This record gives sequence, C-alpha cells and structure tokens, in this order.
Amino acid sequence: MSPVIAQKEKLPIVGPRDYGYPNARLRGMRSRLLKAEAFEHLIATGGMHQLIQELMRTEYASDLEEVLIHGRGAAEVSDALQRHLIRIHEKVFGFLNQEAKDICATMLGRWDVFNIKTILRGKLYGLGSAEISGNLMPVGALGSVDLAGLLAQSDVSGVIDTASTWELPQAPALRDGYEKYQATGNFVDVELALDRYYAGWAGSRLARRNSNYAMIRKLLCAQIDILNTVTAFRASRDRLSLEAAKEYFLSGGDGISVSLFGQLVAASDAGGLLEALRSTPFSAALEGVASQYAEDPSIVVFERALEDYFTRKMVALSSTDSLGVGIPLAYLWGKQNEVTNIRIITKAKEVGIPLERTRRELILV
Amino acid sequence: MIDKRLARKVFGIVVFLSAWLVPALAFAEEAAAAGDASWQVAVGKAVAAGLAMGLSALAAGYAQAKIGSAGAGALAERPELPIWIIVLQALPEIIVLLGFVSAIMING
Repeated sequence: MSPVIAQKEKLPIVGPRDYGYPNARLRGMRSRLLKAEAFEHLIATGGMHQLIQELMRTEYASDLEEVLIHGRGAAEVSDALQRHLIRIHEKVFGFLNQEAKDICATMLGRWDVFNIKTILRGKLYGLGSAEISGNLMPVGALGSVDLAGLLAQSDVSGVIDTASTWELPQAPALRDGYEKYQATGNFVDVELALDRYYAGWAGSRLARRNSNYAMIRKLLCAQIDILNTVTAFRASRDRLSLEAAKEYFLSGGDGISVSLFGQLVAASDAGGLLEALRSTPFSAALEGVASQYAEDPSIVVFERALEDYFTRKMVALSSTDSLGVGIPLAYLWGKQNEVTNIRIITKAKEVGIPLERTRRELILV
Repeated sequence: MIDKRLARKVFGIVVFLSAWLVPALAFAEEAAAAGDASWQVAVGKAVAAGLAMGLSALAAGYAQAKIGSAGAGALAERPELPIWIIVLQALPEIIVLLGFVSAIMING
C-alpha cells in the first residue's frame, strides 16, 4: 500500500506542534487557488481544446503536460486533475507537523469511505472502470494504486473480498454491511456500515484534549449530523417505519438527536422536514434550495446543499487561529473543491451543457 | 498556538523575578536615598540591567525564530515577498533596543 498520507512521514522539518512554517506556506499556496474570474474564463472557453489552453496558464500546467501526450480529451484532463490533487496532498503532508498530519489524515479518511462507496455503487450498477475512476478522490490513506486494484474487480463481492485480503481497516464493516445487504437487498446497509465505521474511527482518533482536536471534533459531529439528516430524508421518502429507520441512526453527532431523527422520518413532506430542522445550523442551507426542490423533487438537491454547507464550513476554517490546524484543512478542502469544479466544467464541455447550467453546478465559487 | 507548558514556564519565571528582584531594587533605592550607597546597590543595579538586556534579547530571539520560520514558509511559496519578510524579521529588534535603554536608565 502506498498511501499519500504516509509517504512523507520521514521528513520532520518542523516541530510536532509548530504551525508557523506550514501555515505561512499554505497561505502562500492558498493565494494561487483559482478565483471566480478564473472559473468564469474556464466556463466561457469554446471547447475542450480552449479549456486545456486556459488550464495551461494555471498551476495545473505541469500535470497536464504529463498526460497530454496521450490525447487532449476529457479523460486526460481528468487524469491530470487527479495527479495534481495527489501531488498537492503529498506536498502538503511533506511539511505539516505531526499533529496536523494526524488531524488531516483523520478528516481525509472520509474520502476513503467515499471512494469505496463510489467503486461499490459503480460495480453494483455495472459502470465501467474509467467512468468510476473519474469520480474518485485518491487523497486518503488508499492511494491510486489501491483504488485501481479495487476497481479491477468485476463485482461488489470481488471488491469486498479484495478489501478483506488486503486487511483494509474498512473490511470488517464492509463484510457486515454486505451480509445485511444480502438479507435485505438494500444497498444502503453497506453504505451505512462504512459510515458507522468512519464515525467510530475518526471519533477515537480525535478524542484528545487540545483546542485543535476539539475544533475538528465539532466538524466531525457536523458531518455525522449531515449523514443522519440524509438518512432521515431517504427513510421519509421510502416511508420506512420509525423502528426500521432508527437502525440506521449514527451516534456521535450533536445537532440531530434520536428524537429529532424520529421527527424527520415521520415528516410527510419536504415542508415538514425543513420545519423539523429549523433548530439545526444547516437549516438556512436547506431552505435556500427549497424552491429548487419544488422544481426537481429529488433528495439529491438536499444532499448537495448539505455537502456544500460542509465544504463551506471546512473552507471557513481559514479564518480560525492562524497557528492552528484550520489553515491546512481549509486549504486541502479548497483545493478539492477547485478540482471538483474543474471536473464539472470539463464534463460540461465534453457533453455540451449550456454555460448557465454549468455556472449553477459549480460549488462555492 | 502558544504551547501551554512554555506559557507556564514563562509565567513562573516572571513571578519568580518579580518576587525577588522588585523588592531587591526597592531596598537598593531606599539604601541609596538614605545615603548608604553600599556595594549591594551596585550589584543590584548590575543584575537588574543585565536582566533587562538579557530577557529582552531572549524575547526578541523567540519572536525572530517564529517570524523567521513563518517567513521561510511564505518565501517558499511566494518568492516575491523577501522585503516584507526582512522588515518583519527586524521588528523584534525594537524589544532589544527597549531593554538596552532600560539597562542604561537603571545604571544612569
């Protein structure tokens, strides 16, 4: 296994809790993140060729140069974006102090869960490896080689068997979830087993008495609340009984209690759900997309709003203690968001989505 | 973020010095006023001047180490900033200058 996170362990260029050097460097790197005008230029480009030309004027140039010998299509751009993301994460982990490395690795662990889920869903619906690979974020402990190994499997059980053979930490959760899935036929069982694993794993790694850990614990709680809210939305849509839905409740959050979760599951429509969520911090984010939900009554609208809310929270960490772990996390999330946006623009250019719709799809610009 | 252990040590040193040096200086001043200028006054002044200079130099060194480390980080990513980093790096020298002035005033 060659995890991004573990690669640079042997370069202790700063003290275990020295944030002066890494945070100053990250602030410098942050100034090179693409601004709204740069995205506007990318959206306004006439096609893939112009998009690549525009990207060659940015930090992505060196990664694009490496892949452009294979072609000038969306697949090559996607490959370059992934290379860039891995390179930047390796670079950041190369100069972070030990505490920041631990905390960032814990928060990036969610991408391992995301990647495994994406591969499993892809295999479940019979998607091709190239299509699945384009949506992966290889920035957690599972590197691109590990993900390629999982992707090479032919079906869901093959992926789970490979994870077990490699003794991945997520393997026991995957096996439990898969057993349940075989009994119920509901794939959510596998996904929730992974979420439960992540909540427990991250919670135990962040259980230290220190202001940096305390700040990130709150974010983990927010993440668990978001997962519970999405589960409640799905349970309400599928008219699940309260007893059945409570099986899916994840403990560890601080905004969604079991009783509130019950209220959400029992809500009969979107209005009831939003009313029940009024006391939560992400209520405004959900109400902001209520009109969009009225036009397109899909839970994905709310899921996307909650994901944006969480990204916003992570990026806002840049205005916390300038000698704390918020700066590295804000930068890493800002970079991931930037790559996601460029991926959206690339897809839009590939399939010819109108400019206005592409603009709407972008996150946090 | 300030290391709590370091903060406790600095606080302890400050309390220790306040408890021992301030009364010593007060006594020295009293003795001088009474015209009893003995060797203790001279020693007290010398110790106080040394501490004023030494502690301010230590504080400036600590500040410069932090600024230098952050400056190196900033320069690694933004090579166009060296002038600003040098200006920031030089600012804590004022602390040493103030310590120097205090030392002169104590001996004056």
